[in-house]
Order: sequence, then C-alpha cells, then structure tokens
Amino acid sequence: MNISRLIAALLGVVLFLPALSNAFEDDESCLMCHKYPKMGRVTEDGTQKSYYVMPDTFSRTVHRNVPCRDCHSNIKELPHKPVKEGVTCDSECHSIENPSTGKPFSHAPIYNAFKESVHGREKQEKGLEADKPYCITCHTNPLYNEAEKAPPKEIIDRCVVCHEDEAFSAKWYNHTSRRIREIKRSSKEIVALCSSCHADQNLIERHQAAAAKEGRELGRKFPYAAVAYQDSFHGKVTKYGNTDAANCLDCHASAENYYLSVHELRPSRDPKSPINKANRVDTCRQCHKTADENYAAIDPHPTHFKEDNLFNYYAEIIYAIVGNVALVGLVGMALFETWGRKRDGVNWVLRVGTSWRRRRKTRTR
Amino acid sequence: MKLSSDASAVLGTSMRQNKISVEISREIEELVAMMPNDKKTIYQNVDSNPVGDLFRYSVHIRIQHLLTFTTFLLLAFTGLPIHYHEAFWAVPFNNVLGGLDVTRVIHRTLALTFVVAMVYHGLTLVLGSMRKISAGRFDIRQTIIPLMKDARDFSADMAYFAGKRDNRPDMDKFMYKQKIHYFAAAFGNTVMVVSGSSFLFPEFWNSVLPTQYASHWQEMMRLSHPHEALLALLVIAFWHWYNVHLAPGRFPMQWTYLTGKLTREHQIEEHFLEYLRNLVELPDERRYMRENLIESGLAVSEPVQNGVFEDYRKTLVTVDGSAATELAEETRQ
Repeated sequence: MNISRLIAALLGVVLFLPALSNAFEDDESCLMCHKYPKMGRVTEDGTQKSYYVMPDTFSRTVHRNVPCRDCHSNIKELPHKPVKEGVTCDSECHSIENPSTGKPFSHAPIYNAFKESVHGREKQEKGLEADKPYCITCHTNPLYNEAEKAPPKEIIDRCVVCHEDEAFSAKWYNHTSRRIREIKRSSKEIVALCSSCHADQNLIERHQAAAAKEGRELGRKFPYAAVAYQDSFHGKVTKYGNTDAANCLDCHASAENYYLSVHELRPSRDPKSPINKANRVDTCRQCHKTADENYAAIDPHPTHFKEDNLFNYYAEIIYAIVGNVALVGLVGMALFETWGRKRDGVNWVLRVGTSWRRRRKTRTR
Repeated sequence: MKLSSDASAVLGTSMRQNKISVEISREIEELVAMMPNDKKTIYQNVDSNPVGDLFRYSVHIRIQHLLTFTTFLLLAFTGLPIHYHEAFWAVPFNNVLGGLDVTRVIHRTLALTFVVAMVYHGLTLVLGSMRKISAGRFDIRQTIIPLMKDARDFSADMAYFAGKRDNRPDMDKFMYKQKIHYFAAAFGNTVMVVSGSSFLFPEFWNSVLPTQYASHWQEMMRLSHPHEALLALLVIAFWHWYNVHLAPGRFPMQWTYLTGKLTREHQIEEHFLEYLRNLVELPDERRYMRENLIESGLAVSEPVQNGVFEDYRKTLVTVDGSAATELAEETRQ
C-alpha cells in the first residue's frame, strides 16, 4: 500500500472522528467561538467566568436538540454583545412548538408550580432564599442522564416509511422512549439529593434562627429530617439499595401525580401535603395496605433528642442504666462466688485435661 | 447429719411420692445419719464423672437449649450488622451474606426457629408438669418457679462466700442463680419476640394499641430490641459462659447440656435437695454413698434430729396395715 495513502486515510479518521461525535447541530455557529476551552473572562469583581461549551457533553444532554438562541434569546448577532440577562428555566423556546397547544414550548407551567412550593424561588436570590434549590440544583443534567443509545434500527426503519427524515425519527424516539423508561433517581440517590441540603447543619441553624426571629413556624422535624430518616427502617434498607422502602419523595410528594408533585412539595401543615394529618393514612397505605390512624401516628423520623422526643430521651437513659447495672451485678456476683468457693479448695488447676476437682484423696476400693 | 427443715420437707415429700417402704425409709435414715454435717467434706470426697453422674435434663430440654443457643448466637451475628449497619465491619459482613436484605431474611428465619423452640419449651413445661401431677410426683420446690426460699438461699450463699457461714445452703434442682438466669432469658426472649414482631407486623401491633401510644410503642420496641439483644449477648458471654465453662471446677465445660447429667459433686454442692431425692429414688446411689462414706472414713453417727422419718412411717401406718404391724413389732422389741 502506498504510504502517502495510508497517512491520508489515518488523517481522515483522526480529523473526522470528533466531528462525528458532536451529534448536536450547531446551525447557529455558536461553537465557532464557544468550542475554545479558554473562552471566558474575569469580571470586575474578580470572578472567573467560563463560556466554554463542551460539545461532547452538551451533545448528551436533554437540550442537545434545542438551538442555543431558543434560550439565549437576547443574542441577535454574531459576534454578540455582552449578555446582561441570564437564561431562566421558564423562558419560551422560539423554535420548538408545544405540539399539544401549538404554542412555543416552555417550562413555565412546572416552574410556576415549583414557585408555589415550599422550595419556590427565583433564579437570582440572596440570603435564606438562596438556600432553596433552583431547577438546576436537582436537574443536574447531564450528570445523571445516561448517554442515549442509538435507536434500534428496526424501529427507525419503520418510522422513516412515513417520516422521511431519519434524524427526526431518532429524536422523537429518544424523547418518547426516555419517558417510558424509568429515568428518575434511585431511592438512594433521592435521599442523597435531599440530604445535600437537609443534612447541612449550618443551613438548618440559619433557618431556625431566622424563623425564631420572625416568629415563623418551621416543621417540627425540619432540624432532624435527614439524620433521623437515615436511622429509620426506611432509611437503613434504602441505604443498602432496597427500592421497596419509602424514600423522601414517596411520602412528601403525592403519588397521584408524582412528577408534578415532586415540584410542589409542601410543609405538613399545608392541607394539600400528603403528610398533612388528614392525608397521612392514605399516604401510608400506598405501601402498608392495612395502615390505620394508629399506624399513621408512628413517627417516621424518630430521634432520641431531648427537644424532639422526651420519651425516647429518658427511655434510652433508663435502658443504659438498667443494662449496665444488670451486667455489672451479674458478673460481680460470679466473681464473688468464685472468690467464695475457693475456700472449698476449688481452683483453676487443670487435672487430666479438666479443672474438675474429682476426689481430693485417692482411695483404694 | 442434722437435716435442715428444707431438707426434711423435701425428703418427706419424696418418700411419700415414691411410696418408700418402711425398710427403705430406715435405710435412708441410717445413711443420712452417717453423712457428716459439713457438706463440703462430702462433695470433696465423692467420685465424679466429668460428663455427669446423675440425671438433670430430659432430651427435650437439651434440644431446646441447643436450638435456643444456636439461633440466639446466629440472631446476634445477623442482628448486630443490621443494627450497626454503618460500622466498618457491618458493611462487608452484610455484603458477604448477600446484602442487608439477605441478612434480614436470615435473621427472620432464625427468629422463627427461635420462637418454635420457645413454644416447644412451653409445651414441654406444661405437658411435663401435667404428667408429674397426674403421677403424683409433682413438687413445686423442684421447679424453676421462684419461691421465698430462693431469697433466703441467696443471702445464705452470699454469707457463705463472704466467710460468714460454714456451708452453702441446701438448694433444690434449680438454685437462685439459675432462676435469675431463666427468668432473665424468658423475659428477654419475650421482649425480643414482641419487639421483633412489631417491626415485622407494625400494622397489626398498632391496630390493637390506643392511638396516643402507637408511636411510643414502636419507638420503645426499636429501643428495646437492640438493647435487650446486646444485654443478653453480654450476659451470656460474661456471665453464663463464665459460670458453665470458665469458673473453677467447671472447665472446660459442664457437660449437662449434652449428656443431661450432672456430676455428683456438683449436685451435692449446689443442689443438695435434689441429691436427697436421688437417695430416695436410686438404690445404687444409696449403696455408693454408704460405701464411699465408710471407705473414706467420713461416716459418722449424727441422728437426723427431727421427726421426718418417724412422721413418714406414721403416715404409712394409716394407709398400710402391714407397715402398722411392723411398726408395732418394732415398738415391742
């Protein structure tokens, strides 16, 4: 084989491979600049800002089919002027139409529901509000989204009989099949996600102090929610990968409309909350079929802290005292007995492989 | 030997229950009179087979003990890594078994076996007692039921250990220590089964309890299960095993749990009343004791000094004409 041909072929492979892996279409040529890793600036207050878009990573996100300017709608020309307003998740997409309404697609409905929840906040917040999660706190795309596999050929072959554009069929397949597959976090991951804030002692103390100052009511279990759950039966088995036990959202979100409900979590004092007193029995019954009022009275976040559960606090102390007294008493009695029996001539001397005393004097029969 | 009132009472009951003849009652009286008052010298000078001489436990009790201690230990070994699931040793342990879920299944299966052993034991007690009652051989002093005598025995034994008494008290088949142990275990087992079942069937337990106690009950049970388990494990390891394996004179073990038999020296030392019953019931044991006392030069002539034998023979007079004749002849001579 001609050497120059081989080099040309190898060069071709090297040059075209990255291009093939960039699945998303950059029709607006944004990557012309944003493909450079050093693309960024230092702001007036000294913060480093990176404007680098990693094509490989972005091509695996759920937004890979959305043109950049659908969200970054302020950008009108290339090269563009400095951006003043960031993108919020309730923006309207310009090129994607909601097929069910015919209107431009937007996450506004779910965002508005989220704003009404106990977690609701704007994108830019300061102080205590900034402790609450914004959309991307939980929707950490692409980190937990699996890379999409290529659609099965036998399905796409069928689609393109009518929908001639193969790329469209592949996109549609991914969009729908993703929603059919189970893509939500595992129980263990949900607990880890909620605990990332609810187990943060500094955050808890900040909110307790502010609530006390404002005379505002916090949930009774707010300070212990995560730590007490981890110690509960639900928490223990979930930690080891059991998926049958309740995780945070199984009780705090309504099972009737789970995917909407997880966005509008409410405090237990809210009558709409599934853990409100009036709704608890039904919530327990999702798994514990024969649960009744009494069952729903069991504390799923049990602690032994004095300020939370005086009964448990004293019960634990009493148990410790009784246990230690019993053990020390019995062992003490055994030692006293040994000491006392030594007067019988009993000792730890081994004879014929045992410490049996046998006869003291030998006897002829 | 001067018999204590407890010993006389047990001896009298045993002779009545075994319908001992006048001759045998005389033989026993003579033998008891030959025994020295200092019990220590008796049990220090008898022959003992380490694996046991005299009957103590039926095969049922031995099976129950084997079932209980194997399931108890395995329950502890599977329960500890469930309770201390975050400890450095618990994670690999659970993983070796196939994960926490598998450990839980093993734990519950063992728990069921444990409950079966408890029920088996309950049945043995009830049916065994009924059989003894119907045969007219039941004696409450021989059972595990705590009596006031146990409190007296306890203080007398402590006095002996402290050097304020010459001999240990005359104790029955189950001495105070064994009664404490038995009821501690019975109480502990009940706590474990009730609390364990309240984890397995929380809906049932809470449906039978008043609402205001529902949560406290569950919390109490969650607290009780590991605490009781840990206490039981420590008591078994540091007290029971010491008593039956390591205490001087007991090493390497008391074989009773396997052979069902207790050594002669141990029975005379700690269960003298049961030994007196054996003297009533076993002619061989009477023969052995008589020969042993004579040959070791321990035989004395110390009258029993209370009317237990005469009283017994008088009862025979009322029911048995021939005995009455013998007694009358004896009086004439």
